[in-house]
Amino acid sequence: MPAIPKVLVTKIGLDGHDRGSRVVAAHLRDAGMEVIYTPPWQAIDTVVKLAVEEDVDVIGISSLATDHRIVPKLMRALREADVAGVAVIVGGIVPDEDEAMLLAAGVARVFHPGSSLDDIAEYIRSVVPALREARSAAFRTSV
Amino acid sequence: MKMDEPPALARLLAGERRAIAQAISAIENESAGAHDLANALAPHVGRAAVLGITGPPGGGKSTLVNALLGELVARGLRVGVVAVDPSSPLTGGAVLGDRARMGEHGGHDAVFIRSLSTRGHAGGLARCTDRIVDVLDAAGFDVVVVETVGAGQSEVAIAGVADTRIVVCPPGLGDGLQAIKAGILEIADVLVVTKGDLPGADATRRDLADMLRLRRDGREVPVLATTATRGEGIAPLADAALAHADEAGRGQRLRARAAADIYADRVLRLAARDAFVSTLGIRCVDAGAGHATAMLRVRAHHLNFNGSCHGGVIFALADTAFGLASNSHGRIASGIEAHISFHVGIRDGDLLTARAVEIARGNKVATYRVDVTRADATLVASFSGTVYVSARANEPDTAPPA
Amino acid sequence: MNKPLDSTTLAPAADREQWQRDYAEQIGDDRACENRSGIPIKPLYTRDDWDGARPEADLGYPGQPPFTRGIYATMHRGRAWSQRQLIGLGTPADYNARLLALIAQGTSAISLIPCNSVFRGYDMDEVDAELLGTCGVVLNTADHMDRCLAGVDIGGMSCAMNDPSPFTLLAFLLAVARRRGVPFAAIAGTSNQSDYLSHYVANHMFFRIALPGARRILSDHIDYCVRALPRWNPMSVVGQHMQQAGATPAQAMAFTLATALQNADDCVARGMDPDAFLPRFTFFFDVSLSFFEEVAKFRAGRRLWARLVRERYGAKDPRSLRFKFHAQTSGVDLTRQQPLNNVARVTVQAMAGIFGGLQSLHTDAYDEVLSCPTEFGARIAVATQNILREEAHLTDVIDPLGGSYYVEALTGQMEEEILKTLALVQDAGGMYGAVERGIVQRMIGESARRFQAKVERGEQTVVGVNAYRVDEGAAERPPVQTVDDAAMAAHRAAFAEWKTARSQAQVAGALDDLARAANDAHANVFEHVVAAAEAGCTHGEICGTLRRELGFGHVQAIV
Repeated sequence: MPAIPKVLVTKIGLDGHDRGSRVVAAHLRDAGMEVIYTPPWQAIDTVVKLAVEEDVDVIGISSLATDHRIVPKLMRALREADVAGVAVIVGGIVPDEDEAMLLAAGVARVFHPGSSLDDIAEYIRSVVPALREARSAAFRTSV
Repeated sequence: MKMDEPPALARLLAGERRAIAQAISAIENESAGAHDLANALAPHVGRAAVLGITGPPGGGKSTLVNALLGELVARGLRVGVVAVDPSSPLTGGAVLGDRARMGEHGGHDAVFIRSLSTRGHAGGLARCTDRIVDVLDAAGFDVVVVETVGAGQSEVAIAGVADTRIVVCPPGLGDGLQAIKAGILEIADVLVVTKGDLPGADATRRDLADMLRLRRDGREVPVLATTATRGEGIAPLADAALAHADEAGRGQRLRARAAADIYADRVLRLAARDAFVSTLGIRCVDAGAGHATAMLRVRAHHLNFNGSCHGGVIFALADTAFGLASNSHGRIASGIEAHISFHVGIRDGDLLTARAVEIARGNKVATYRVDVTRADATLVASFSGTVYVSARANEPDTAPPA
Repeated sequence: MNKPLDSTTLAPAADREQWQRDYAEQIGDDRACENRSGIPIKPLYTRDDWDGARPEADLGYPGQPPFTRGIYATMHRGRAWSQRQLIGLGTPADYNARLLALIAQGTSAISLIPCNSVFRGYDMDEVDAELLGTCGVVLNTADHMDRCLAGVDIGGMSCAMNDPSPFTLLAFLLAVARRRGVPFAAIAGTSNQSDYLSHYVANHMFFRIALPGARRILSDHIDYCVRALPRWNPMSVVGQHMQQAGATPAQAMAFTLATALQNADDCVARGMDPDAFLPRFTFFFDVSLSFFEEVAKFRAGRRLWARLVRERYGAKDPRSLRFKFHAQTSGVDLTRQQPLNNVARVTVQAMAGIFGGLQSLHTDAYDEVLSCPTEFGARIAVATQNILREEAHLTDVIDPLGGSYYVEALTGQMEEEILKTLALVQDAGGMYGAVERGIVQRMIGESARRFQAKVERGEQTVVGVNAYRVDEGAAERPPVQTVDDAAMAAHRAAFAEWKTARSQAQVAGALDDLARAANDAHANVFEHVVAAAEAGCTHGEICGTLRRELGFGHVQAIV
């Protein structure tokens, strides 16, 4: 069975504007992917747990305001929970100086406003095979 | 990843989250080893109370499930949730989880939530929902909640997957009660009227209670009212659901499935007797009443003079599925007409799957359609066939079934 | 040449067919145009589109039915719109400094915007420290409110609090008023954003308490204010969030009117007299770059409201028919690329709102899209309004676009579109029912996707984003307003200390009373919120208590 990419689209922090994340979620569905879409204000621990339970390939964080400032906490929590083979991407308002900080913290890519929806879908499709390989491998070796 | 390696299975049985999630993915994606896994779980299932929750959209199901989760967790129970949403008929994609993950319990240690897409399967559930429920059952969850969106035939589908069927209605259905599909009242073990603080709620609850009394003697079906936003009626609901599971329910779904397995077992026995099937290397991998799936890996000796798979091989694969599906009911079915169209050339090494489904079945004649696909889901051939059904049993020493 | 021009040497042609021929010949690519609400737009409008034959019916005079030209006889010429800039950042001291600076620049009314943590119903010690004060002021107590408004005459200046249910900010303001000896009768302003339905649908951040509870608290709030605060508008029906979430301008107006009707119905069901509460209803809209569409939207809405209110409630007081609204220039139209371009955008949006007949206006700062505006950006936003008002003299004429064939025709068409959507909602049982079933959310989502598709196809140009792009170096980006971490840490420490020093018994008693009131259908919950604020309860404690008793406001996101 061909791999159907599984993407978590969520928001951490306090902001509740979700027009952008909804448009992205709809587009990914229309591109044939399975999107786990949550309401905003997810706790970081919940996001980690969710990513594991739903066995997602990609975590898409939608960030307006300044919620991206706690993304490094999410990256840390994922590492501490030994979650391998999951890519984190951030979409929304991220000042340039903070983009470098996010990438250094392990975020795979930042999508600024004006990014094409097709680009986001393409990117996800391109990284899924390697992520699945990494997830199974990590599981095998940790047994 | 081989799921029958003891450590991985042991971790699943011990309730390790990642092992559970990966097992569910394996089943959902029909990965190699998924069948072995499902079999390995068999001795460990039947302990959990499986609650199926369905009902019309807008009935307040999600709020109710969220509140029920909280109540069960507060009682110290471990709860698994399977939330099923329909896939887009156009693109195959889906948006999942927004209902089930609406509340605050998703982050609780004692809760495991998995969202599934129907992936085109009709009936409101995913094709593998029952085996995914088995994973959560085997992993030690005390309660497994299966929630569907509630459109179409899902009320009936949930009957096959859950031990205790809970149907959720909004208040104020009034004359619309007559319009409730008969299926709902037939399968409900517990009926819930939500938004109890609204004016129509009590009247709806009384109307439903009356209808049930009229329809069914013997079985006491509780009709409850809840106001989930205020936590009212949730504890009685949990009591009623768990009580049903204890008296009549736990493992009920497995017994129903075992009955369906009679068909599957029969087909597998028939397939094992088929000399030609084993010569070609065809395997029967799935079967049920009126349906069967067969697979074949194309090898060098299947190729024709042009180096692609011989049409007769593809025909044989489709015909095998056709024959098994038509014989699944237990009476000898003989093919009288078949047709195949080839769409795509097949190469050495391709893995082909033929799925036969019953289109129509009368007393003497039945028609089947078989789709042959390649591993990348391309439809490579379409087959149709008709059988003549005899009165005799196809297994000696057995009486022909009705 | 001293002869006056002889008008007979060039006779007017008035040849419509000739124009149509010339147009067809010269136009080249005659692409179809439609506005954001889907109404097709022609190249030229004439008498045939609006012949002005019934000026009394369509147009009338300002301050009289049908109110198309404005709700007051004098409109901006008599009293300019209020310059009500949203202000909110950092600690109360930061807020106060910014407020006083902008008042000196000409801001004539206050609009306080609290931190996202406050919107979410939490105190500063309940959230991640990095998230505090970035988009609004961290205000958790009556003392904080006092500090925010230090040096401000709260009896003389109108204060709008961005304050969803259960309206703690107003409660804190009243506690401050009591301390300063300012009578409640003098407190003027608005419970901005008191509309729980629009929050549930489109700005989830403000939605704290489950729908039934939020509905009840709003009615309690309106009831209390009608009795105790004669100059306070407790009802601010919000169209902004839905339009920002993607609703077309016509949809946004329709949903807003439907919400207003729902809330008014709820008040009537409580036995309130329509003429007692309708004059306290205000509206809050987004105003986008679709210039003429926005003007027509507001004129149509104003006309519809008066009719609806008269038909449905038999309102007799002329003040009940007045469609009072505040508009905010739409942040969704602004871009991160080439941010200074946003100054031009905001100017166009502001003008649309002004010609639409608003009563108060907030202009976004050009850097609002990046973070909380810097002082520099905020100053330009205020100056924009000053320029429009006093240099461009936009207050000189009432409804200057009135009588334009295009604007009048479009006003009529927008009215039709609005009525269609309004009928849909009313058929679904009213706004509350339609929202519960997700009907409104789905419509908004579809409109959002359609607009995005237009942008991606290049049919809708966004300068700097899908056209006229420029490679901007990091040096060209404006500085981003940051939070003073040290000041915020000090603020948190002071708060912790304050909490231990207050009377725990008094606080516990007030919260118990509040909980009891929540469970008593005959009690007025807001009255107890006011009492709790007075007794030293914090914002988080009040919200937490009501969430516990009435249900947490979970949001079902519908894609």
